[in-house]
Amino acid sequence: MLALEGLTVRTGDSLLVDDLSLELHDGQVTCLIGPSGCGKSSVVKWLAGVLAPGLQAEGLVLLDGAAMPRPAPALAYQPQQDALFPWLTVAENAALGLSLRGLSDRAARAQVRPYFATFGLSGCEDLFPDQLSGGMRQRAAFLRTMVQDTRFVLLDEPFSALDAVTRMRMQDWLCARLAEAPRGVLMVTHDLFEATQMADRILVMSARPGRILADLTLDTPRHLRRDPALAPIRQTLKSLLLEEDPHA
Amino acid sequence: MSAFFRLAPALLLAALLLAGWEAYCRLAEVPALILPPPSGVLRALLTERESLGRHALSTLQVTALGFSLSIAFAFATSLALHFVPWLQRGLMPLLVASQTIPLVALAPLMILWFGFGLLPKVLLVILVTFFPILLSLLSGYRAAEAAHLDLLASMGAGQWARFRRVRLPSARASFFTGLRISATYAIVATIFAEYAGARSGIGIFILTAKNSFRADLVLAGVVASALLTLGLLALIALVQRLTARRFRMDVTHAGA
Repeated sequence: MLALEGLTVRTGDSLLVDDLSLELHDGQVTCLIGPSGCGKSSVVKWLAGVLAPGLQAEGLVLLDGAAMPRPAPALAYQPQQDALFPWLTVAENAALGLSLRGLSDRAARAQVRPYFATFGLSGCEDLFPDQLSGGMRQRAAFLRTMVQDTRFVLLDEPFSALDAVTRMRMQDWLCARLAEAPRGVLMVTHDLFEATQMADRILVMSARPGRILADLTLDTPRHLRRDPALAPIRQTLKSLLLEEDPHA
Repeated sequence: MSAFFRLAPALLLAALLLAGWEAYCRLAEVPALILPPPSGVLRALLTERESLGRHALSTLQVTALGFSLSIAFAFATSLALHFVPWLQRGLMPLLVASQTIPLVALAPLMILWFGFGLLPKVLLVILVTFFPILLSLLSGYRAAEAAHLDLLASMGAGQWARFRRVRLPSARASFFTGLRISATYAIVATIFAEYAGARSGIGIFILTAKNSFRADLVLAGVVASALLTLGLLALIALVQRLTARRFRMDVTHAGA
């Protein structure tokens, strides 16, 4: 289990995140939702060790009860955009995490190649990112994240740049991948449907300064989640967010 | 087809200008001593091709050496300035100041200090071409995308790994822009250095022609200088294109 305790993020005199604590469990998908500017991305970036230099943060991260060094070998981070390097082939992009974690570039590329079929990228190994569609690019980014084989994965609005249809396909696709190889996931999203479709737990953040407002557990199996039975929980989330949205 | 259509406007405009120049010289009966027609310049180019070729080769050697050293120095300096911020803060004002020194004052001093050999001319080329290359590299390093840098940082990449894998490739397009700007100065700087004192080179060819009141030879020297500059630009474009397989972005967006 990964526990974040008492995270406070400030920029100058302004408090962005206020004494926030949360827990991530192995194999469980946790979605973090909240109004714009509440500090969702800051939480994930701080965990990943890439918080912007202008922000001051303090807090504690415990992995199985012990203080976790950062950047942590137990965590893989995927930023908002796919962040594929345009000068690297898809295979080289996918192998990036492995080669930075100690493998030679060649060995890292060899290690990622078998996964291309599973990630729907067969035949794309030697293409460049600008030769891929939006969905393929996102799958390549997920491949880069998942092959690092970390216990926990941090996803910062991974589908926000995709069109509606591709987004729905990618949500189903990611759920299927996570069912095959479960990871502890913390995913930031602003999409209620996405959160209720994918999460085992949903954490709702308040408006700035962000803190955890509600912690909802979803017991309905994922394949039944398009069922109207989920309507009440979506309504609850919607009400919470509308109350917190400063522009409402 | 696309290359022809891309070049067509420039070629057409150049042909029109030359035709207008030729017509003016003939119709207004301008003395060739004052303004020779293009046909006269072409004749001078052909008759003096051997001598001009020798001088152009000398200029090219100095430019090639000076420009190559300039690229190497600019790259080494860019590394030092990028990794040592206080050095950048301290050195940049001095480097900017160095660019304000007029060439006309510096060239004779270089000859005075270092003689008529290769060194003063090479130093002058470095001084003129170094700064645009350095600036283009530094601004290219800064243009690296934050998401790429964050991603590598989250993977535990150190400062050097982030530089090598993100900042350096990100600076490629900007670097070639700087190279092209510097290349246009490189030949002119060499000619200026030769003008201030040398035994051979296009600068000496032009100086000798001017002293003999041969405007056609002066212009022939100018044409040779322009051709050398165009050749250098074409070489840079070729290198950019040949090394572009891994750098699709600057081929598709910036052109070569």
